[in-house]
Amino acid sequence: MIDKNIDQLKRLKLRKNAEMRLKVYGILSISLALIMLATLMISIGLSGYSALQQAYVKLEINVDSKKVLDEKGGFSNQKALLVNWDGIVSNSFITNFPEITKRSEKRSLRALMSSNAGYELRQYFQKNPDDLDENITIWLSASDDFDQYMKGRFNTSVDEKDRRLSNQQLKWIDFLAMEKISKLKFNTSFFVNADSREPESAGILGAVVGSTLTLTITILFALPLAVMASVYLEYFAKPGRLTDFIEVNINNLAAIPSIVFGLLGLSVFLGFFGLPRSAPLVGGLCLGLMTIPTIIIASRASIRAVPPSIKDAALALGASRMQAALHHVLPLAAPGILTGTIIGMAQALGETAPLLMIGMVAFIIETPDSFTSAATAMPVQIFMWSDSAERAFYERSSLAILFLVGFLIIMNSLAVFLRRKFEKKW
Amino acid sequence: MVDKKNNLKFKTKNVSVFYGSKQAINKISLDIEEKQITALIGPSGCGKSTFLRCLNRMNDVISNCSVNGKILLDGNNIYSDEIDPVLLRAKVGMVFQKPNPFPKSIFENIAYGPRIHGIGNNRAELTDLVHHSLEQAGLIDEVKDRLDDIATGLSGGQQQRICIARAIAVNPDVILMDEPCSALDPIATAKIEELMSSLSKSYTIIIVTHSMQQAGRVSQKTAFFHMGDLIEYGETPKIFTQPDQQKTQDYITGRFG
Ligand SMILES: Nc1ncnc2c1ncn2[C@@H]1O[C@H](COP(=O)(O)OP(=O)(O)OP(=O)(O)O)[C@@H](O)[C@H]1O
Ligand SMILES: [Mg+2]
Repeated sequence: MIDKNIDQLKRLKLRKNAEMRLKVYGILSISLALIMLATLMISIGLSGYSALQQAYVKLEINVDSKKVLDEKGGFSNQKALLVNWDGIVSNSFITNFPEITKRSEKRSLRALMSSNAGYELRQYFQKNPDDLDENITIWLSASDDFDQYMKGRFNTSVDEKDRRLSNQQLKWIDFLAMEKISKLKFNTSFFVNADSREPESAGILGAVVGSTLTLTITILFALPLAVMASVYLEYFAKPGRLTDFIEVNINNLAAIPSIVFGLLGLSVFLGFFGLPRSAPLVGGLCLGLMTIPTIIIASRASIRAVPPSIKDAALALGASRMQAALHHVLPLAAPGILTGTIIGMAQALGETAPLLMIGMVAFIIETPDSFTSAATAMPVQIFMWSDSAERAFYERSSLAILFLVGFLIIMNSLAVFLRRKFEKKW
Repeated sequence: MVDKKNNLKFKTKNVSVFYGSKQAINKISLDIEEKQITALIGPSGCGKSTFLRCLNRMNDVISNCSVNGKILLDGNNIYSDEIDPVLLRAKVGMVFQKPNPFPKSIFENIAYGPRIHGIGNNRAELTDLVHHSLEQAGLIDEVKDRLDDIATGLSGGQQQRICIARAIAVNPDVILMDEPCSALDPIATAKIEELMSSLSKSYTIIIVTHSMQQAGRVSQKTAFFHMGDLIEYGETPKIFTQPDQQKTQDYITGRFG
């Protein structure tokens, strides 16, 4: 038995209390962080989930095949250009309201359809030319105000003059919804389209592809350079002023505001090398420059974490320093390097400022198909949408944020997974 | 006095080593005979490891380390510009205090050295070489069925013998051992000592040890270091029974160290 005198008991109690307090503080701060994160995600989720649906209107349409097919029976783009698709859509739409005859009323009725509905119709027939000459039923996009009203996001308490929909238009929408002529359906265009002026046809795909192309360049550019630099600094650089200077500056580089890398890209890649504006190639290079210090710092740390005895063993067998590094140290450091790289990539994925400088903020309706075609990236797309006047863009930017966060979570889980998988024990 | 019937392997002349401005060993002149075991003993920090690392130029890796004096291997100065440390280390192998097998398979551990030196060009030759090296290291019976297992999963003594086999595989002339048994239990130690005696028929072995008994059991010659100086060097039995120097006497009788 250990004899405890009063004094010792007192001190024991004090120590236990202090430990308890520390634990409580820790739990409190973690909970606080989690609550804030949850609040953020929930509020974004609440404003973004409705973008998963979109208001569509059911139309009965019959298009004469002679208007669009060429002699061989194929779809002729030239002929299709001459067809008034918008007219076909509005005529069919207006048949739902036979009582309306006044020109001004017809015009405000037509405004309820998306101005891209005609284009959607044309796309449909281009894909399904067999449906020409048939009476078909097709769901086409309604306008964004229509969409917002159906989702209950249209503010009707405002004075009618200041609203984008008149009371008459609201009544029509109510009627269409009641008759099941218009409906909220899954918003496919968000996932298959690039940007658009009309929120109802704007999609994230262009930005996702743009981000993917950009990050591909980033990793191809940054990873080899950073790993080579770390190996050099760890194994070959002679300690001295120059090495110290380089070290300090790599750490400084990691702390430089990202927009500076954009300015650098603008003057060097665009100005000096004359690379194309708005291209993932240039964006990737800028983000790569930004990521290199992060990867170097992570790589050096994990190279240093490999026991020196492994390197000594290789050297004592007559391996050159290069061989010791490539054959033994790098494979063991790889999990750490990978983790650092993925974290750097995640940072690059969320970066906007440098991309703004090199023109990846342009309005681009085509999904990019090469490293040199004009593109945007996800965070830039979010930035542009959240800046738009239409309410419908606001919910889309929230959904896009969820998308981006999803990507980040996937990348970070990948980092954890790779680390677990390739970590070797010795 | 050089014993005439044995050839000299290493001859060092006035070797001093500095770490920065701090001197670690001071003007060591020592002749090491071929196919014998030479033991280096002395209190901790006296420069045994430093001296040993000079012999295969592992000191080159330490950035602030500088070596003065001459070290001749078979009459050639190993610190001259013509000598490539990489080739030197293929001739002068090393076994470290803590077993340090690569975290790879047993086979890969042994085959690595031959591979980088272009010995054993095809798989069959390499397999032969691996088996032969493991046999020499007295390990073949224990591991022949699991050459693909990871070497770091073996016991400490087995790992150390893997390291010895790995050093043998590149066919060196000399094997340097820096306290090879200090991380091992007595049985594993006995095995390694046995192994050293059998290896000394074909290799020159230089061993640093803290165990006086070990030096007495395995070595033919012993050098006693103290504070960077070589105090005494001679036949092992003589050093342990009637040393010339008082300091040696004090050390081996355990009065300091
Ligand atoms: N890398 C180094 N940098 C600076 N000083 C060193 C370095 N390695 C060894 N020394 C110093 O050189 C002297 C000799 O060290 P060494 O390791 O050769 O001793 P040792 O005899 O092997 O000791 P031990 O028996 O404890 O292994 C010591 O004073 C040590 O502090
Ligand atoms: Mg030592």
